[in-house]
Amino acid sequence: MTKKNHDADVAFIEALAKLLRENELTELEVMREYGEADSLNVRVSRAMQAPAPVQYAAPAAAPAAAAPAAAPAPAAESADPADHPGAVTSPMVGTVYMQPEPGAPPFVTVGAQVKEGDTILIIEAMKTMNHIPAPKAGTVKRILVEDGAAVEYGAPLVIIE
Amino acid sequence: MTWPAGYGRTVLAEVDSTLNEASRRFPTLTGPEWILARHQTAARGRRGRAWSNPQGNFAATLMLRDIAPMDGGLRSFTASLALYDAFVAATGRPAGFALKWPNDVLLNGGKVAGILLETIGKGGLSIGIGVNLAEAPAPAQVEQRALRPVSLMAETGARITPEEFLELLAAAFAKYEAQMRQFGFAPIRTAWLARAARLGEVITARLPNEEITGTFQTVDEQGQLVLTTANGPRMIAAGDVFF
Repeated sequence: MTKKNHDADVAFIEALAKLLRENELTELEVMREYGEADSLNVRVSRAMQAPAPVQYAAPAAAPAAAAPAAAPAPAAESADPADHPGAVTSPMVGTVYMQPEPGAPPFVTVGAQVKEGDTILIIEAMKTMNHIPAPKAGTVKRILVEDGAAVEYGAPLVIIE
Repeated sequence: MTWPAGYGRTVLAEVDSTLNEASRRFPTLTGPEWILARHQTAARGRRGRAWSNPQGNFAATLMLRDIAPMDGGLRSFTASLALYDAFVAATGRPAGFALKWPNDVLLNGGKVAGILLETIGKGGLSIGIGVNLAEAPAPAQVEQRALRPVSLMAETGARITPEEFLELLAAAFAKYEAQMRQFGFAPIRTAWLARAARLGEVITARLPNEEITGTFQTVDEQGQLVLTTANGPRMIAAGDVFF
C-alpha cells in the first residue's frame, strides 16, 4: 500500500460519501479493481435523517460515516478530517459561503494565515449570516467545503494548523 | 406604545447601512440597541443584493448581544412575528398579512419588508429590517420570480413614519424576545406557524445547488423548513422559498 494509493483511496471514499449525501442514499457499495490481487472494496452508509431533531442530540463526528468493509484500505481512521486536531467543525446546519458576497474574494484560501477570531466563512441558516471565526491563529491547511454546499452539524469545514 | 425597557435607540439622518453602523458600534454598546436611519446610502440585502430604500421607508437594525451560535437564526422568527404585530398595530387589522419562511412578511401576497441577520464578533447579532412603508421598488428592480414588491401605504392606506413604526416594532420585538428567553423557541414557533402562508400547500425552496418542491409540512424545532417530497421529508436550513 503506497502513500499515493492511500491518498487516492481516501479521496475516493470521500467522493462516495458525498455522492451518498447528494443523492439521499443510505448505502453504497463499490468494488474497485487495481490489478490482480489488488482491489478496494468500500461500503459507505449513513443513518437516514429523521424528521425529529435527533440529529442534534449529539455532535456527530461527520455527516457521513465512511467505513471500508474489507481490507486493504486502512482509511477509516485517517479519512475523517473531523478527527484532525486542527479541524474547524460546523456549529450548525446550513449553507456555506466562502465569500462575503458573490463575486468578492474568499475569506480564506489554502495557505493563508489567520488570526483567532477572523471570519473563515459564512454559514447561512434561516436567513442569518453566521460568520464562523477561526478558533485559533494559524495557517489554513485544507478547505473541506465548497461554496454553496449544505453542511450538517459537526461537519469539518477547514483545517487550521 | 411604551418604549421597551433595556433597549437603546439611535436615530440617524443618514448612514451607509444600519447593518454596517451596528457592526461599527458593536464594540462600545453594552445592551440591545435599535439604530434607525432616515436615509441609507448603501442599503443591502441578502448575499450582496441591493435593497431599495426610498425616503419615508423604514430602515433599522437591532443589535443584540449574548446570542448562542445556534440561536441566531431563531431571531428570524421573533423578528418577523414582531414585524407582523407592528403592521397589525399600524393598520388596526391583521387582514392581508402573512409570514413566509423564514422571515418575510407578506401583504396581500406581496413583499412589504425584508429582514437580514448577521452575526458580529462573539455573541453579537444584527437584525436588519427594511419596510416599504411609503413606497415599493418598481417590479423591474427585483429579481425574476421574486414576490411583487408592495408598500404599506399603497395596499392599506396607512400612513406612518419610520420613527412611529419603530415604536410599534420595538415593543413587539421585546415581547417576543422575552418570551424566547424565558420559554425557548416552542411558543414562538407556534405563533409563527399560526400566521404562516401556504402551510399544507406545495411550495418550492431554491438552494444553491438544487430546488426542492414539496408540501410545506411545518417548521421544525430548529427553525428549519420541512417539506414533504416524493422521497420523504426534507429539512431545509437555508434557501429561497417560491410559491
